[in-house]
Amino acid sequence: MDDIDAMFSDMLQEMDLLTQSLGEEAESAPLPKPPTIPGPQEMNFSVGFTDFNASLHDLEDNDLDALMADLVADISATEEKFATEKDTLKGSAPVAPIPSQPPSNLSFPGSSSTLRQATSSNSIAATPPPPTSKPSKEELEEQIKADKIKLALEKLKEAKVKKLVVKVEIMDGSSKTLMVDERQTVRDVIDNLFEKTHCDCNVDWSVCETNPDLQTERGFEDHENLVEPLSTWTRDTENKVLFHEKKDKYEVFRNPQNFYMWKKDKKSLKDMKEKDKEQLLEENFCGASVIVPDLEGILYLKEDGKKSWKQRYFLLRASGLYYSPKGKTKASRDLVCLVQFDNVNVYYCKEYRIKYKAPTDHCFILKHSQIQKESQYIRYLCCDDEWTMTLWVTGIRIAKYGKQLYDNYKAAVRKAAGSATWASRSIQASSSASTPSPTPKARAANGHAPQPAVETKGSSNQTSFPPPPASMETLPPPPPDPMLPPPPPAPPSTNKVNQFPPPPQFPQSSFPPPPMDDLPPPPPPPPEDSELPPDFLPPPPPIFSSCGGEALPPPPPDPIASLPPPPALQNFASAGGAPPPPPPPPPPPAPAPAASKPAGSVRKVAPPPPKRTTPQLAAPSGGDLMSELMTAMQKKRTQ
Amino acid sequence: NYSELSHTHPHNQYKPTHPCTAWDLTVTVEDLGPDAPPIQISVTSELHIGGVILKLVEKTNLKKDWSDHALWWEQKQQWLLRTGWTLDKCGVHADARLVFTPQHKPLRLGLPNGVTLKMRACFSSSAFRTVMGICRVLNLRHPEELSLLRPVEEKKKKKDKDSSEELYDLTDVPLTAGALNNTSKKLLIHCCSARSHWTLYDGMPAHFADSPKTEAVYKMLSVSLPSPAPEAIAKLYRPASVVDKTHIHTRWLNSSRSLMQQGIRENDKLWLRFKYYTFHDMDPKYDAVRLTQLYEQARWAILLEDIDCTEEEMMLFGALQYHIGKLSLSQDMVSSCQGMDDLESALKSLEVKMVGDSNSTDTLENMTAPELNDYLKIFRPKRLTLKGYKQYWCKFQDTSISYYKSSEDRYGEPIQQLNLKGCEVAPDVSVAGQKFCIRLLIPAPEGMNEIYLRCENEKQYSQWMAACKLASKGLMLLDSSYQNEVKNIQTFLAMQRSNSAGPAAQTDESINTHSLVSPRYHKKYKPKQLTPRILEAYQNVAQLSLTSAILKFLQIWQALPDFGISYFMVRFKGSRKDEVLGITNNRLIRIDLGIGDVVKTWRYNNMRQWNVNWDIRQVAIEFDGNINIAFTCVNADCKVVHEYIGGYIFMSTRSRQQSDTLNEELFHKLTGGHEAL
Repeated sequence: MDDIDAMFSDMLQEMDLLTQSLGEEAESAPLPKPPTIPGPQEMNFSVGFTDFNASLHDLEDNDLDALMADLVADISATEEKFATEKDTLKGSAPVAPIPSQPPSNLSFPGSSSTLRQATSSNSIAATPPPPTSKPSKEELEEQIKADKIKLALEKLKEAKVKKLVVKVEIMDGSSKTLMVDERQTVRDVIDNLFEKTHCDCNVDWSVCETNPDLQTERGFEDHENLVEPLSTWTRDTENKVLFHEKKDKYEVFRNPQNFYMWKKDKKSLKDMKEKDKEQLLEENFCGASVIVPDLEGILYLKEDGKKSWKQRYFLLRASGLYYSPKGKTKASRDLVCLVQFDNVNVYYCKEYRIKYKAPTDHCFILKHSQIQKESQYIRYLCCDDEWTMTLWVTGIRIAKYGKQLYDNYKAAVRKAAGSATWASRSIQASSSASTPSPTPKARAANGHAPQPAVETKGSSNQTSFPPPPASMETLPPPPPDPMLPPPPPAPPSTNKVNQFPPPPQFPQSSFPPPPMDDLPPPPPPPPEDSELPPDFLPPPPPIFSSCGGEALPPPPPDPIASLPPPPALQNFASAGGAPPPPPPPPPPPAPAPAASKPAGSVRKVAPPPPKRTTPQLAAPSGGDLMSELMTAMQKKRTQ
Repeated sequence: NYSELSHTHPHNQYKPTHPCTAWDLTVTVEDLGPDAPPIQISVTSELHIGGVILKLVEKTNLKKDWSDHALWWEQKQQWLLRTGWTLDKCGVHADARLVFTPQHKPLRLGLPNGVTLKMRACFSSSAFRTVMGICRVLNLRHPEELSLLRPVEEKKKKKDKDSSEELYDLTDVPLTAGALNNTSKKLLIHCCSARSHWTLYDGMPAHFADSPKTEAVYKMLSVSLPSPAPEAIAKLYRPASVVDKTHIHTRWLNSSRSLMQQGIRENDKLWLRFKYYTFHDMDPKYDAVRLTQLYEQARWAILLEDIDCTEEEMMLFGALQYHIGKLSLSQDMVSSCQGMDDLESALKSLEVKMVGDSNSTDTLENMTAPELNDYLKIFRPKRLTLKGYKQYWCKFQDTSISYYKSSEDRYGEPIQQLNLKGCEVAPDVSVAGQKFCIRLLIPAPEGMNEIYLRCENEKQYSQWMAACKLASKGLMLLDSSYQNEVKNIQTFLAMQRSNSAGPAAQTDESINTHSLVSPRYHKKYKPKQLTPRILEAYQNVAQLSLTSAILKFLQIWQALPDFGISYFMVRFKGSRKDEVLGITNNRLIRIDLGIGDVVKTWRYNNMRQWNVNWDIRQVAIEFDGNINIAFTCVNADCKVVHEYIGGYIFMSTRSRQQSDTLNEELFHKLTGGHEAL
């Protein structure tokens, strides 16, 4: 409570300070260090984050290249976009409202505007305020204050979005590195991966996690968020994220009879008519409540803390996994609940015969997703054969996720069907600078489709980057989920999830003194860039806009609407080709990263090290990342 | 006209008397009183039924509306409803004893919620149509899913016969059905399935708004009743085995025949129940009564162990019942309408949205609001030391608890911070012992961390417990459900307090937990032991609105493995022992009586045809692949089995039909059997 109050008053002071000092600072190069603002949300950020420096070092060189190139491309793309947009705006707006010019302590027109122009980018927000009737100074200040609060709040929200750089291992041993935003579902990630790989996009593709300690594997469900489970991995984890086909992912929807009529001879079910299958699905998944397959039978249960496995008669019910105790009937009332599914996930296990002396290798476990090591809170179960295991694991998934699973399947089928058409379409599109696609999903597909071309161009991403202009033309705003250009196949040695610090870029970039803001922001993760549409809706008063406004994500306006007309885009595409990747192209982000360095990189998994206060204001944390990347790149170069 | 008709009829040849010969027909007119002698009227065989009635009415000298009256032929157990037919054509002769009686008579209707409602029902049309009429009055959509059955014979009936039973009376509600002619019957059929056939008056069909008495009836119908006393549950009949469960089918009425024909008389008692377990197009907006009554039927099925469930499920059912009961009590008449419930929540969320969007200062306040700070005692049993609870200054913020040595240290680094997201929260509470502990199982990479928080009092406990509960789901203190959660926990504690204080007296605020579970658990647990179990389950449902809680209850009920199976005792052709046949909405199940195991299932969509041999009362079914089965029913009538199979097939045709009209003809075709011919 106090903290937040304090933070806000701090922020307001800071903003006032900034606006007042705008004039002098516009000319001066050295940036004053903004004061630190202790924010309560830091606590959240720090939890579960590993030191991303370390993880960066662990990255394969080519991954680094790819990541770098991708980020640079994103920066230049956004910059270009803003630049063009500014141009268009300038054409129409500039003369208007300067009369309503408020307090004199602001140097508005002259210096800052040139500065803006010189330094490009996001200064569009400086578009003058609507020429309303001259408000009194007090009113204006009130208004300014209110706006500031609002914007600050929005930024806070935005700043809380976690992002991870995830290395995904693909079946052939290669890997892809991509950035995943906490709002993205596994489905989104799969779609990204479809675009980055040349797989056939069938419904069986899934993103899985493996845990070498427990020798487990679990396919994430399409509706899950990927960031959340990955955030709970320990810092030195050997866990991997895999992308491969898993036949049993949606098998229940292709052949429901094998699951719902499992007691029958499988051969007799083989020729079931499609119509009957559909009806089975309808009956079991489309009623008021989802019907769970009535699985029952003997499984082995590893006894608590012991090495022995005991046979028990298990029954699956919608409410949980039960067994009937010795000497009792299997009547419902006598059943003992082993586990309910609200908080646990089900994992396939490998080679438990050796590891735990299991009767067979067909084992699965039930555990909280956070548990990463052997524990008494894990339930270990063993089946006679693989099919039995598939039955039970699928049954448990149905009990846990219910209709969601079916919805996922239907979405996957639609996607698979659509991807074929899209593949052909995007080829067309790239050849004939086509119109932006109607749906966001499709747009993403379209935008990313050309990327494989980059890959084919050559191993040196640096030279081949940014992506071919033709494709960029079809690309509206930078795709919300950034993907790195596929790096050349890397030895699958170290697979790590590199956890980024929560990107507090937004709040940061808004607070520092104006000149810095007018610099091209050090490459923040693109999603946010895309949310920086320049046509700033309620144009804040000039004082404000020149200092923080540009960096603020306005209440998300339709990105397409805010897009500059196509010619401008063309312009941008060609310009985008210009900046050489390594050092971020546009003017010096150097000071900012430098400022951020000291504290920004130190992050602990452990409870609340409230050290991140400094970085948060010192510079956009994007700067952190960039500078780290940069140094890493340099190092690599010099070697 | 009529004479022409009768001439063409072949029966004319066999008539014993000459068409013009007059003879005396004896008719009892009920309206003259039970002791009045039957009336004799002079008729000829050519006289049609309408003429008989006319003569009869003239002779009684009574001025009243006779339009609902009709002739009932006692010996033949049939109605003479075709007024155009002659006595001869109907086969009525001088020896016939006819009764002139109203077609609509009061019936004591046992509702799914256990209440008896006195209302008028049609005794002359098929039971199916009678149910339609009843449902129309009660505002229950999809009457085809319900039917009437004879009640279980109650042994010691005498003493509490009067009080509870006559409480609700709808006999005065004017029935449009009073003048049922053919066209209005069609109208009625349409009305029964149409979505909103009554103008709503204060959220209630207009015909209930006549008087406070009828309003009370509507409330009884649409709001679930308070939990019954444990003794009341124990007293009621409970099926002890699958065999017992087959007995219910000896009691269903034949839906193709009228009530009178089935021996039901004025003021008799019948139960109205959902018979087919497939509930089409359930919509809380229109189905206030239907939803409530279905919930009541499900609740009783669980309380009376009619359907088996596990202990965990029983606790959840108990928690939901408690929650539903509490919300129902606090509801007044108007908001009891489920539609309003939804509307309110929609408005609320809209409000929240607008506030969130437009008013940043509010958001600011919200953002700064949520935090709990207090001294709590913490105990971590995992440590091997025998240290007990130790006091710390605890701060609950967002989804985490941070604890410090003392309040002075609160600005420094906490000793530890616990993020409760995804953790398990369980109460460990004894009001009598003044013990208020929260047991937390916090998942961590190494396993689960077990931590106990001990609170000083109820108030502190309810605040922290609610916060933990929300945090475990990833919700923060500022979540709108927080205050509600706190209140819920407090009332639940109050319930435990009264339990430990004295015997189970049900008041508004507290109930005996024994009334939430089946008698099996009365024996197994004391109310005091039951409370924490139910409380645990309750945590997961306490945020639900009334409608969602009811829907959730129904959902869990429908997910039970044994849900929707109607059991029949049968003897398969060629088998020497009795077996049980389960009939569900999509399949037939053969169950071995000895072990209770499913031996075989046959699905309807593999069914080619089914036939009933009414002479030997055998049902024969042919499935794809030349599979034939045949069986006779041991205790129930095979007409009931026939109706079940046909009925479920009828139910499955509904989803495909676009129109809302109930296809009565098809239903009759599928279920009528030889009566349909």
